[in-house]
Amino acid sequence: MSKKPVVELNHVTKRIGKTTIIDDLNLQVFPGEVFGFLGPNGAGKTTTIRMMVGLMDITEGEILIHNHSIEENFEKAIAHVGGIIENPEMYKFLSGYDNLVHYARMVPKKISKDRIHEVVKLVGLEERIKHKVGNYSLGMRQRLGLAQALLHSPSLLILDEPTNGLDPAGIREIRNYIRQIAHEENMAVFVSSHLLSEMQLMCDRIGIIQNGRLISVESVRDFVGTSSKQKIRYHVSPLDQAVELLRSTYGSVVESVGDGFIDTTVSYEGIADLTELFVTHHIRVYGIENIQSTLEEKFLEMTGGEK
Amino acid sequence: MVNMMNLIQNEHMKLYKRLGTWVMIGLILFAVLGLGAFTAFIMESNENTNWKENLKIENAQLQKQLEESPLKGAGETYVQKQVAINEYRIDQDIRPVESQSVLGFMMDATNFTGIIALFTIVVASSMVASEFSWGTIKLLLIRPVSRTKMILSKYITTVLFALFSLVLLFLFSFLVGSILYGVEGVGQPYLVYNNGSVEETNMIAHIIQLFGFNSVDLLMMVTLAFMISTVFRSSSLAIGIAIFLLFTGPQLTQLLSSYEWVKYVLFANTNLQQYTNGTPLVEGMTMTFSITVLLIYFVIFTTLTWVVFKKRDVAA
Repeated sequence: MSKKPVVELNHVTKRIGKTTIIDDLNLQVFPGEVFGFLGPNGAGKTTTIRMMVGLMDITEGEILIHNHSIEENFEKAIAHVGGIIENPEMYKFLSGYDNLVHYARMVPKKISKDRIHEVVKLVGLEERIKHKVGNYSLGMRQRLGLAQALLHSPSLLILDEPTNGLDPAGIREIRNYIRQIAHEENMAVFVSSHLLSEMQLMCDRIGIIQNGRLISVESVRDFVGTSSKQKIRYHVSPLDQAVELLRSTYGSVVESVGDGFIDTTVSYEGIADLTELFVTHHIRVYGIENIQSTLEEKFLEMTGGEK
Repeated sequence: MVNMMNLIQNEHMKLYKRLGTWVMIGLILFAVLGLGAFTAFIMESNENTNWKENLKIENAQLQKQLEESPLKGAGETYVQKQVAINEYRIDQDIRPVESQSVLGFMMDATNFTGIIALFTIVVASSMVASEFSWGTIKLLLIRPVSRTKMILSKYITTVLFALFSLVLLFLFSFLVGSILYGVEGVGQPYLVYNNGSVEETNMIAHIIQLFGFNSVDLLMMVTLAFMISTVFRSSSLAIGIAIFLLFTGPQLTQLLSSYEWVKYVLFANTNLQQYTNGTPLVEGMTMTFSITVLLIYFVIFTTLTWVVFKKRDVAA
């Protein structure tokens, strides 16, 4: 990518006492992309995010946001950042609106009432914004958290486990929303999560962290890419005939046979080939589903192997 | 650059939108009303028409005391001073200030600065520690505001709360006092004994001075509580230590006053009235000495608060 990165981590290391928590981390996030930061619990995701927003000191290396060092030029660097760090904890005794006013007063440029209302509308909290946050549901607090992060139109959005505790509808809404702002407003989004399926749907690129080390950065397309094999389940009838056909044509693609379906391991192109084969041999195809993403396998393979 | 005023405004919003704050302010007002009710309806009304007689008797007793068991140094000056003032009152026909007058009532009410100290300690203790326990510190510190400004705005807000409470106490005690006893006595002078002669000074100025002296103790304890709150991130610890010291500190220093080193202890210096209206705790202590010691403690408390808040990694 030829674009200038919004945020750059150069050789970032964090040590507490003698323990190295983050070890020589290097990565860049560009405008308009959603970057997923994936890793098991305790891998160092939250520590990395805390260093990115200046809540923690960096032992070695530097973090640049629009070329301003977060340590040496904190106020300039952080002005570009909006974030939710872990659960969005708000002042419970204040209304949602007062919470936003509180954060609006803390940025150098003036944030108008119109902008506050605009953001409130964006996250769908108009009805309850004058109520005390103490009475909000977790989902509403997440939305308010998103509202405070977007208030000053940042160019980098940092979200730590944004879908934690949300119901499926809420997760989907947040996911769509994140993709939309990244792509339409050319914002860089840095999301951390330990949920693979979530990342796969939300991100453009994914970095995998384990034991404080970044072990892989790949674009989601490459990750679940066309070249790698996937597990595909075919619901077909008659079953025996179909299994026979596959064995005689491709040999080893059949993994297992279940009640009314065949599990296969095929490439991206293979999915279409197999379907065509079935159809031309007059086998009825009732369903084709991807039963295990290779991302998950890859992730387990990577994180499991690094011990 | 984020305006400091905005930050102070934020802290005020967070402080005054909490019920607890208003309960404290309500209790201060309630205490003044309680004192008013006590002095007006329960305390024996002494229509002291023969106050001159009483003062003469008192002076006679004091003189006798001086002759029978000669006091030395400070004790002697205190008695001499009392006698001189009483004589001046008799000569010039100036009644002593009574609790049942607006000024006397206000003077009694200055004792409630102790309650204000208590409440301000509570406010100071929660200022920083609460942000940690609420978890809001994480969203608070990722704004384009330096931590120095942040902590300063919190400290200023705490001090302004104390100031607001003191002004409220002053005005409300005047209000209650003048409703109960009328405002006739306002012109009454306050008598000071200075180098062997008695002088008349403004009574209101004297009451404000009383507030000022009581505030020294208040400010030091509040700053201490604020420091503990920041360093240990625990409001209960800060409240506990600060209130414990607020009540026991002066007694402890009194108890240990025979030791020379006690004069370097904070509590030996917080009561500046010991120089204007009493005897210094340890001989040789002066106003200048105490103010210097207080300043040193103040600088230590605030610097420690600032350094810890600025350097701390915010985890959990």
